[in-house]
Amino acid sequence: MTSRISHRERLNMSNPVKIHVIDNGGQWTHRIWRVLKEIGCDSKIIPNTTPPNEIDADALVLSGGAPRIAWESPKLGKCIDYLKNFEGPILGICVGFQLMAVYCGGKAGPSEVPEYGLAKLRVVEEDDLFKGLPKELLVWESHNDEIKVAKDFTILAVSDNCSIQAGKHQEKPYYGIQFHPEVNNTEHGAEILRNFANTVKAK
Amino acid sequence: MLACDVVFNAPKFIEDAVKDLAGKIRGVAVIGVSGGVDSTTAAILVGRAIGDNLRCVLVDTGYMRKNEIENNQTLLKKLGLKVIVVDAKERFHDKLKGVTDPEEKRKAIGELFIRVFEEVAKREKAKFFVQGTIAPDWIESGGGLRDKIKSHHNVGGLPEKIAFEIVEPLRDLYKDEVRIVGKELNLPPELYERQPFPGPGLAVRILGEATPDNARIVREACAIAEEEIEKAVANGEMSKPWQYFAVLLPCKTVGVHGDVRIYGNVIAVRAVESLDGMSAAYSKIPHTVLERISVRITNTLKDDVSRVVYDVTNKPPGTIEYE
Repeated sequence: MTSRISHRERLNMSNPVKIHVIDNGGQWTHRIWRVLKEIGCDSKIIPNTTPPNEIDADALVLSGGAPRIAWESPKLGKCIDYLKNFEGPILGICVGFQLMAVYCGGKAGPSEVPEYGLAKLRVVEEDDLFKGLPKELLVWESHNDEIKVAKDFTILAVSDNCSIQAGKHQEKPYYGIQFHPEVNNTEHGAEILRNFANTVKAK
Repeated sequence: MLACDVVFNAPKFIEDAVKDLAGKIRGVAVIGVSGGVDSTTAAILVGRAIGDNLRCVLVDTGYMRKNEIENNQTLLKKLGLKVIVVDAKERFHDKLKGVTDPEEKRKAIGELFIRVFEEVAKREKAKFFVQGTIAPDWIESGGGLRDKIKSHHNVGGLPEKIAFEIVEPLRDLYKDEVRIVGKELNLPPELYERQPFPGPGLAVRILGEATPDNARIVREACAIAEEEIEKAVANGEMSKPWQYFAVLLPCKTVGVHGDVRIYGNVIAVRAVESLDGMSAAYSKIPHTVLERISVRITNTLKDDVSRVVYDVTNKPPGTIEYE
């Protein structure tokens, strides 16, 4: 039985924001799900092979994962299809963000200096994701690759060793984060995800 | 409606879990317990669902901490659980003879654990086997798209053929949530606040071959690190880390004891701050406390240990345990 309701209809109802987490095999995919639940969202983890027409959500998060962006992007399943077809906001985390940038005509590849664990983030543009948050945050990283060119994205945050830590597409509702807001050690991580969830209703 | 905070609902979780377990388990069930937060919480939940039909099996692997088997047996019995202690020290020591690769070690331990549980299950005519598996265990064990970080003894270390059905009531919870459930189930604070201890025990805190002699060294070093840190916490010198222990490194260094050259082992002390074990920052322990640990370990373990180091690695890039 299919009783799908449209994106707009859902927004008019007082249901919690429904955000599905696309699992790209990350160590912290389950953490994204947990934090989304904690901030009051209705959330569920789905494999990245789920057909786009079976997805019934207000927003998506593309999780991080072990696949290397330059030569393992087929392991990211149907993520490109979601970027093509999904109606609501999409947040790409780590390799999810890298794929988003590549899809939009940018470039990603191995980092000169990868970042693991603690890094100091400087917010350069508050936009939606960093609304009301301090300009400097201690965040947790875990990446071998990074975005080199983010075409049509406004850069929102940087770190010493990575100049594209967060971005927002200039036209589409695409948000991307290279660090890991879902990890408990990241300062204000839950608020960043809450800010993303709030973009659904703000539309 | 904007997103607002939702607190983990332990009473609801308990109610659902007990109902689910009561429907799923028929007859007798065996649970592997260690005396830690996860397995004890799972045991209490299953106990609520099936009562007297639950048998708790505590395996003495020979890689438990100082006095741990005796203490845990007493603790579990006090909670009204039926405890069967299996002395498998020699079997574990034999199984790990010559094994130095961390993954091989974890798999060997996982398999032997299951064989021991199977024997008990057969004796007790149990068709169900309960484990206190929590989320990081299956996440880090990998599978499908997810890379294997380490084979947890209760997931990735399981053999392919198993003679019973496995039940894991805490599978989607993290340690901090299990503690809330444990508290809600009226476990004593010493239990639900207990620091994590890996299933394979001290065997993964011995880098290289887990010989009985190496187990003796790391057991003593762990006991000293734990005691000194707990003393410092009680004295208000520091807050209690999420996890704190000692590891025996697979290398030797030169030292001098009473004008005589010695060539002894190195002990690494590790302490971390975390919520759920999925990420961690190393603990900024005061140097005076580190010094007391170092002096006591080197003096107590004499010629076995010539040096003590403190680990300042976060997770990532390091994991909390070493193997």
